Amino acid sequence: MIQRICAAAIGALLTLSQPALASDNKAVTVAAPWEVASYDPAVSGFAIQKLQIMENLVDADETGSLRPGLATAWTASEDGLTWTFSLREGVTFHDGSPFGAEAAASALTRAWKQPGVLSKAPVTGIAAEGGALVITLERAFAALPALLAHATTIVPSPSSLDPEGNPKALIGTGPFKVEAFTPPQSLDLVRNEAYWGTLPKIEAASYLAAGRAETRALLAESGDADIVFTLDPSGYARLGNVETVETVAVPIPRVVTLKVNAAHPFFADPRARRALSLAINRAGIAAAITRFPEAAADQLFPPALNDWHNATLPALSHDIAQAKALLAELGWTSGEDGILTRGDERFSILLRTFPDRPELPLIAAALQDMWKEIGVELDVSVANYSEIPAGHQDGSLHVGLYARNYGLTPDPVGTVLQDFGTGGGDWGAMGWENAEVAEALAAIAATADAEARAAKIARVTRILHDELPLIPIVWYQHTVSIAKGLENVVIDPLQRSYGLSAVSWSE
Amino acid sequence: MTRLTPFLAACATRGLQAVLVAVIVGIVSFAMMQALPGDAAYRIAAGRYGYDMMDAAAAEAVRIELGLDRPWALQLLDWLGALAQFDLGRSLVYGTSVIDEIATQLGYSLLLALGAVVASLLIAIPVGIAAGLNPGGWVDRVSLGLSIFLRAIPAFALGVVLVLVFAVQLRLLPVAGFRGVAHLILPSLTLGLGLAAVSNRVVRDAVAEAMAAEWRLFARTKGLSARVTVLRHVLRNASLPVVTYVGVQMAYLIEGVVIVETVFAWPGIGHALVHAIFARDIAMVQGTALTLGLIYVALNLLIDLACRGIDPRGSSA
Amino acid sequence: MTNAGQGAGPLFGLGAARLTGLSLLALLGICAVIGPDLVGQDPAKQALLNARQPSSAAHLLGTDHLGRDMAARLLSGAQLSLSLAALSVLTAGIPGTLAGIAAAWFGGWTDRLIGSLADAILALPGLLLVLMLAAISPGSWWALYAGISLTLWVEYFRYTRQRARIVLSSPAVEASRLLGLSPGHIIRRHILPEIGPGLLTVAAFGAATAVTAVAALGFVSVGVRPPTAEWGVMMTELLPYWREAPFLILQPVICLVITVLALHLSVGGLHRR
Repeated sequence: MIQRICAAAIGALLTLSQPALASDNKAVTVAAPWEVASYDPAVSGFAIQKLQIMENLVDADETGSLRPGLATAWTASEDGLTWTFSLREGVTFHDGSPFGAEAAASALTRAWKQPGVLSKAPVTGIAAEGGALVITLERAFAALPALLAHATTIVPSPSSLDPEGNPKALIGTGPFKVEAFTPPQSLDLVRNEAYWGTLPKIEAASYLAAGRAETRALLAESGDADIVFTLDPSGYARLGNVETVETVAVPIPRVVTLKVNAAHPFFADPRARRALSLAINRAGIAAAITRFPEAAADQLFPPALNDWHNATLPALSHDIAQAKALLAELGWTSGEDGILTRGDERFSILLRTFPDRPELPLIAAALQDMWKEIGVELDVSVANYSEIPAGHQDGSLHVGLYARNYGLTPDPVGTVLQDFGTGGGDWGAMGWENAEVAEALAAIAATADAEARAAKIARVTRILHDELPLIPIVWYQHTVSIAKGLENVVIDPLQRSYGLSAVSWSE
Repeated sequence: MTRLTPFLAACATRGLQAVLVAVIVGIVSFAMMQALPGDAAYRIAAGRYGYDMMDAAAAEAVRIELGLDRPWALQLLDWLGALAQFDLGRSLVYGTSVIDEIATQLGYSLLLALGAVVASLLIAIPVGIAAGLNPGGWVDRVSLGLSIFLRAIPAFALGVVLVLVFAVQLRLLPVAGFRGVAHLILPSLTLGLGLAAVSNRVVRDAVAEAMAAEWRLFARTKGLSARVTVLRHVLRNASLPVVTYVGVQMAYLIEGVVIVETVFAWPGIGHALVHAIFARDIAMVQGTALTLGLIYVALNLLIDLACRGIDPRGSSA
Repeated sequence: MTNAGQGAGPLFGLGAARLTGLSLLALLGICAVIGPDLVGQDPAKQALLNARQPSSAAHLLGTDHLGRDMAARLLSGAQLSLSLAALSVLTAGIPGTLAGIAAAWFGGWTDRLIGSLADAILALPGLLLVLMLAAISPGSWWALYAGISLTLWVEYFRYTRQRARIVLSSPAVEASRLLGLSPGHIIRRHILPEIGPGLLTVAAFGAATAVTAVAALGFVSVGVRPPTAEWGVMMTELLPYWREAPFLILQPVICLVITVLALHLSVGGLHRR
C-alpha cells in the first residue's frame, strides 16, 4: 500500500511537471459539474455517453428523433413482443476487438439486471441471434428503441469487465478513446482513428469536473475551458459580457416540481393542491432565482417536450385571494399567529429538498415565504435526495421539491408512466391515482401511432393540470458557454452528447 | 549513538500506535456510519444512480447486492478480516477498489497539503518575526489586521478572489485543474494564507516573549555579537510552539482541504471522504479514515523528532 | 529599539486599545440583543423582484439574493453568530486548557491518556463527528456547537500542555512545588500569566474559526435550515453572487472581522509581549 501511495505521489508529481495539455491548440477542454468516478455504465454512463467514449445501439438527434447507432435498423414483430436489432458491421472497440451481437447482448443484459431504464421495461429476454440482437417483451412497448438510446444502455467492450464482472476500464466504440482517467476529476481523450463513422475534427479533448458553478464560470472567463456546461444564473449573466466567450441557453425537458402527498389529509382534496399552486409566484422565482422569466412553468411539461406540451391548457396563475378562498372552503381558518388551523390541526408542513441543484434550496426558501402569506407554515429540510423516495415509500413525506427530467430517453412515456401510472412513483404522484390516466398511458406506451398517442396525451396532460398531483414551478434552461473560435458546437437538449465529434477550431 | 536510541524508541512507539489507530479508527468510523440515521441502501443508491435514476427499487437492489441487511457485527468482521490481508474492499458506490482510489487521491492531497504548509511557513515566519521583534509596531498592527481579515474570510471566498486576480485578471496562473505545477500554486496559497493568518501570530508571540526573556539576560551586554546571539536564542525558543502548532494545523489541513479541493477541482482525499460520508460508502469511509489516521501518526512522529532536535528538555513521547 | 514601546506610554496605548475593543464588543452585544427590533424588518421577508439591490433608504445595507433586508439579516445573525463564537470558545477552551494543565502537571499516564484522546479526535474525520451530531437532531444549533467544539478543544489542549510543561520545569515553579504551595497558587501565579496571553490569541481566532466553520459546513450542505440568518451561513449563501454583488458577501465577513478585532483589542492583544 505504501508503495502504491508513493507511486501515486510520484505519478502526481510527474503529471504536474508535464506541460499543460491546454497549451496544445487542438485539444478542447470541457468543464461540467458531474464527477466521473466509476467505470460502470450504470453509474457513470451519463458522462461516458456525453463524451462519446461508448455508444448506444440507437442514437438520437437534437430533436429527439431516433437514428441508427450501433444498430442499423430495428423491427418489431407483428404482436410487438419481439424486437430485432440489426447491428453495424466492421465496428471495433478501442482495444481492437470486434463489436458484435454477443458484446451487445452481454452489455444490455448487464444493464437490464441492474436498476435502470431497462429493468423497468417489460423485457423478458435479451439474446444474440444470427448476428442480430433480439429482445423479447412481456407486452407491447413501443418506446423500447428509445430506451436503447439511454446513457445506461451504452455498450462497453467485453474486455472492460474483470473476471468477476466488475467494470475496470472505459473501452467503447465511440469516436473518442480514453488516454488518461483521474477519478473523479478528469478524463483525457484522444480521437479514435479507427472510428466507423465520420472522424472527429479535433485530435484530443479533455474533461474536467468542476463541482462549483463559480469555478466553472471562472474557467470559462479565463479561457482555461473551451466549453463549459451548466452555469449558475449569476455566472451566466456575467459571461454574457465577456468578449472571449459566447453563451447559449437551450430549453430542456427538465422541470422543477413539487410532489405533494395526496394521501395526507391536508392535501387529499385537489382544491388544497390548487391553493398551494395559486400561492406560488412563479414569475418571481423565474425572474429572480433561475433568471429565465419565460421559463415560469404554467404547466408540467415544458415546450421543449414537443409532443407532451399542451398549448391549450390555461396557464397556472398566481392569485393569493383565490388560494385563501379555496383553503377557507376546506374549513381552514386563520389562527392567532396567522397560520391556518382546522379543528386541532395546524397547517404546518415539512418540505424535503436537496442541495445538489443549488437553485432548489433557494426555491424552497421562496416557497416558505410565499406560503406564509396564505397561512401555511413550511419547514424546509435540505438533505440527501434519497429522502424523497424514502418518504414516498414510508408515507412520511408531506411535500418534496426536486427537478424531474422528462427527457431521460427520447420518448418520455416510460418516465411519465412510472410517475403517474398505477400506484404513482417515487419521483411522481403520491397517494394519487387516476384510472383514466393510467389506462391512457398504458395505451400510449403500447402504440407508435402518432395520432392515437396525441389524443391520449392531450387527455393525460389535462387531467394532470386539473388535479395537480405534481405542482410544477419552473422549467429548465441548459446554459453553456463556448469559447469564440470554436465552431459547430451543437447543444443537445436531451443532454446525451457534448457534440465533441463535430466541433472544430476556426482557422 | 546516544541520539539514535531515543529515535528508535520513538519510532517503535509510533509504530505500535499506528496499528492501534488503524484498527480503532476503522471500528469507530464504522460505528459512526452505522449510527447515522437514514437508510444506507437509499443513500448508496442515490450516490450510484443520481437523482434521475434513483428510486426505491434501486435501493432495494443495492440492499440485496451488498448484503446491507446482514447483522452489522458480521459486516465489521468482514472488513477486519479483509484488512488483515491488506484489502480495503470495493467502494460501495463506484465499484472500484478502495486502495486504488485512495492511492490516486492521496498523492494529490499530500502534494496540496505540502504546498499549503510551505506557503504558510514562507508567509508566517518572516511576518511573525518582523512583528514579534517590535511588538506594537506598524508591522505588528498591519499583520494583525490582515490576519484577522484572512481568518474571517471563508476559504471558498478567498479562493475565488485569488482566482479572479491571478488567473482571470493577470492571466498568470490557471483557474482550476491539476495538470502542472502552476495548478498547485493558487490552491496552496488559498490554504496557506488561512494557516498563516494564525501561525504568524503564534510566531510573533513566541518571538516577542523570547525577546523579552533574552533581553533581560543580555541587557548589560552590548554590541553586534550580542544581537546575533539573542536572535539565535530567540528563534530557537520560538520555533518550538510553531512546530507544535503546525502539527495541529496539518491534521485539520488534510481534511480541511475539502473546500479548496472543490473550488479548484483538485482530486483529493478530503473531497472523496465527504462524498463517501454523504453516500454512506462505508468501505470508502473506513479506508480513507484509516489512511488519514496513519498519516496523522507519521506526522506526529515527525513533529516529535523535530521538537527533540530543537529542544531536548521539553519533548515527550 | 525593540523595547522602546514598553517604556513610552504603554499605559495609555493599552487603555485606548482596550477601551476601543470593549466598547466595540458592547456595541456588538447591544446590536445583537435589540438590533432586530431597531431595523423593524422581518429578516425572512422576501421580495423576489427586488433582489440584490444596493444600499437604499428602504434597505440600508441593500437586499440579498431573495430580496431580504441585509441589515435585518446581519443583526439577527449577530445573535446566533456571537453566541456560537462565545460558546465554542468556552466549551472548547476551558476543557482544552484544563486538560492541558492536567497533562503537564501529572505527566505519566494522565498525560498519555489525554494525549491519546486528543490524537484520536484529530485522527478521526472531524466532518464525520459534526455530521453525527447534526444527524442526531437535524437543523438544531447545539449539535453544530458541540461538533465544532469537539474538534477545536485539541488546539487549546496542545498549546497549554506544551507551554505548561516548560513553565513547570522552570526552577521557580519547582521550588514552589517543593515548598508545598497549593496547585491553585502555582497555576494562578505561574502558569496562567505565562500561557494566558497566547491562549487569548488562540481564543480570539478560535471565535472566528467557529463562525467560518459554519460557513464551511454550509459549503458542503450541512447546517441550518432556511430561512435562518447566521453570518457563516450567509457567507455560503451569498458566494454565488460574489461577482455581481460583492458588497453582499463582504458584509458578513466585515461583521466577523469587527468581532474578532474587538476581541483582540479588549484582551490587549496588540500590546502584549
